[in-house]
Amino acid sequence: MQRNTFLKLTAALASGLLLNAPAHAQSTTINVAAFADFAGPYANVMSQMQGGRLAVIEWWNKEVGSKLNVQIVVKTFDTRYDVAQTASLWPGIKAEVKPAILLGLGGPDAAALQQRLPEDKIPMVMATATYGFGWKPNQWALNLRPTYAHEAGGFLEWFRTTKLDGKRPVKVAIITSEATPAYADMAKGLQSYTKANPDKATFVEAIWTEVQPADLTLAVRRLVNAGTDVIVIQTNTAQAVATKRALQALGKNVPIMLSLHNGVVGSSKALGDPNGFAGDFEVGAIADASEDDTTARKFYSMLQEKHGLKSGWNAMTIMGLGQSVVAVRAIEATIKAKGAGKVTGEAVRETLMNSQFTSNDLMGILPGVDFSNDTPFPTGTAKVNIATMKDGKVVRAAADVNVPVVPKW
Amino acid sequence: MDPSGIFSTSYARDRALIRTRAQWVTLGLFIAILLFLPWFASARLVAVANLMLVTSIVVVGLQITTGYAGQINLGQAAFMGVGAYAASVVEVKAGLPFWVAVPVAGLVAALAGWLFGMTAARIKGFYLALTTIAAQFIFHFIVLNLPSAWLGGVNGFSLEPARMGTFLFNTDRSLYYLFLVVTMVMVIGAFGILRSRHGRAFVAVRDDDVAAGMMGVDVAGAKSRAFVLGAFYAGIGGALWAYQVRFVSVDQFTLFNSIWFIAMMIVGGLGSIVGALIGTVLIRGVQETITSLGPDLVERIPSLSSDLIFASMNVFLGLIITLFLLLEPKGLMHRWNILKTNYRLWPFHH
Repeated sequence: MQRNTFLKLTAALASGLLLNAPAHAQSTTINVAAFADFAGPYANVMSQMQGGRLAVIEWWNKEVGSKLNVQIVVKTFDTRYDVAQTASLWPGIKAEVKPAILLGLGGPDAAALQQRLPEDKIPMVMATATYGFGWKPNQWALNLRPTYAHEAGGFLEWFRTTKLDGKRPVKVAIITSEATPAYADMAKGLQSYTKANPDKATFVEAIWTEVQPADLTLAVRRLVNAGTDVIVIQTNTAQAVATKRALQALGKNVPIMLSLHNGVVGSSKALGDPNGFAGDFEVGAIADASEDDTTARKFYSMLQEKHGLKSGWNAMTIMGLGQSVVAVRAIEATIKAKGAGKVTGEAVRETLMNSQFTSNDLMGILPGVDFSNDTPFPTGTAKVNIATMKDGKVVRAAADVNVPVVPKW
Repeated sequence: MDPSGIFSTSYARDRALIRTRAQWVTLGLFIAILLFLPWFASARLVAVANLMLVTSIVVVGLQITTGYAGQINLGQAAFMGVGAYAASVVEVKAGLPFWVAVPVAGLVAALAGWLFGMTAARIKGFYLALTTIAAQFIFHFIVLNLPSAWLGGVNGFSLEPARMGTFLFNTDRSLYYLFLVVTMVMVIGAFGILRSRHGRAFVAVRDDDVAAGMMGVDVAGAKSRAFVLGAFYAGIGGALWAYQVRFVSVDQFTLFNSIWFIAMMIVGGLGSIVGALIGTVLIRGVQETITSLGPDLVERIPSLSSDLIFASMNVFLGLIITLFLLLEPKGLMHRWNILKTNYRLWPFHH
């Protein structure tokens, strides 16, 4: 009997090992391609975003992927933020990497690929706010934030309620440039919002200037004399700094609303005063870089402690985190729905279109994601966070402010 | 200089571009390689080849304006943009097929080139350079400020794939053959133009416009024609670009692109059509190699961070171009001609 028991145990152990061995060997690899800009206009901040992306992938592989027996491999390509480079890289990426999803950067990637992605059936997610020209139905290039006009609109309605007691419309002006369609689009979007909401905001003027203006005193004086309540600058730090210097020269203090990529910390550094943009605002439909003990901040700290994240707690890192957390959650949901072997670009897009990811799913980095075939950006779940600067630090002014309805322009 | 023992016994033979049997064989092999390239090359390589073909048309155009006629042009990307937009309007608004859109794009760009060529008749040197830079800004301003129903404004244009009958040029391989045919036609055309009296007038104006005028060359006309031709080539290149990317927006045609085109022309060799082609292939090739090398290095040497590797790759690219200009400022074709002459004269030095 003892001999039989021993034989049975040995057989069971052997069969168990045999059954287990293929399971380990069959760990599925899912490829993700990422576009980076280490030599173009965003080279100085790219490492922050890239650090955020890679840390999320490592976290997911260890914490989630290992349980699903799936590993995500990310391969990064430097596009120099250039349409031609993206266009020449893409066929090779598609053929060799066969990515299930693509992490894009912004306008040039969308320009180069928006006609190709539906044919190649690979979705791309970008962490920037949407431009009006990307607002088309049936897109495969998806933005995780609504348009810049939606974000500005959310802020203006909050500003009107809290700073003007809701008594009158906010007088808003925008400083931008005609150098790129993306910058010009910001002004057109804001005009569309104010036109549709005359009781909430009045459009004073769009100042069209150079990408890196030397002096804006005359233009800003005109805005001040017109009684402008808020100046919107969603382009870059150079325009923010020129506007701030102009306001200082005029001895006026009109609040400036910035976006995340040209936020209060970056603009203050460029101004040469760590507290230079105190009292101004940065707005985005993604976690703010305040030191508040938020879910997003906790997630970031965990990635720092356990997964070697070295990027600082700033807007670029947050955009990298947000973009990759959406990608891994979409892959995860696809695996659960269809199985690891059937994670294709088409299946991932289907998941993105048919699922609603909550803020909890996205570790608090984004307020939620709900795409539809009509809008390539979140609408129902979109909310903006508003942060300001105090003593050289980013401080939260308001969280989860609803974005308004903006007519398509 | 011909190889030893080769004598031109007729005028036609004296004018021939391909002068020896070896040259015919080499050309035949080269064309065969080009024809079969998409069948053995990777998808990425075919995409790179497409970009090289489109760029080479634009750079050949620049070579005519600057390399042959000596008229500095820092706005070639703008003329390319004019062609891309013209093709888009013809296709999207007028609903005409691509084989109409492409030549029309060339003609519209040529018209824009003629306008700037008029200024070239009156000014030269730095002043002309400044005027052609203005072309870049005027192009941006016009596209962004005209009613968006006309040129798309900030929204740009989305195009359908080029179509011939029922055949769609919607793959990199099919686009490659389309671009190859157009490039061959344009390059042969460039050789023809430059060997005509117009080409000789360009060279005369480049070398000394006062002397050329005294010899009876219509200097203002030659300068103007050089711009028209250069812009026509850029327009054709722009139209092909539009059909490759199938989305046209104004920020795809910047001053930075124009400067790259000039770099390609200088590296290949000023005043040489083959030089323009070689410069394009070399610069694009180095760019693409470095871009491809980055991700592989990141994978193989994970201890080095990706930002360091990618940044180094681009410094390396800049270094190659700088060294090239320092060591061979007259371009690759100059070096090739020296080698060829030395080989043919060997063992004699003179």
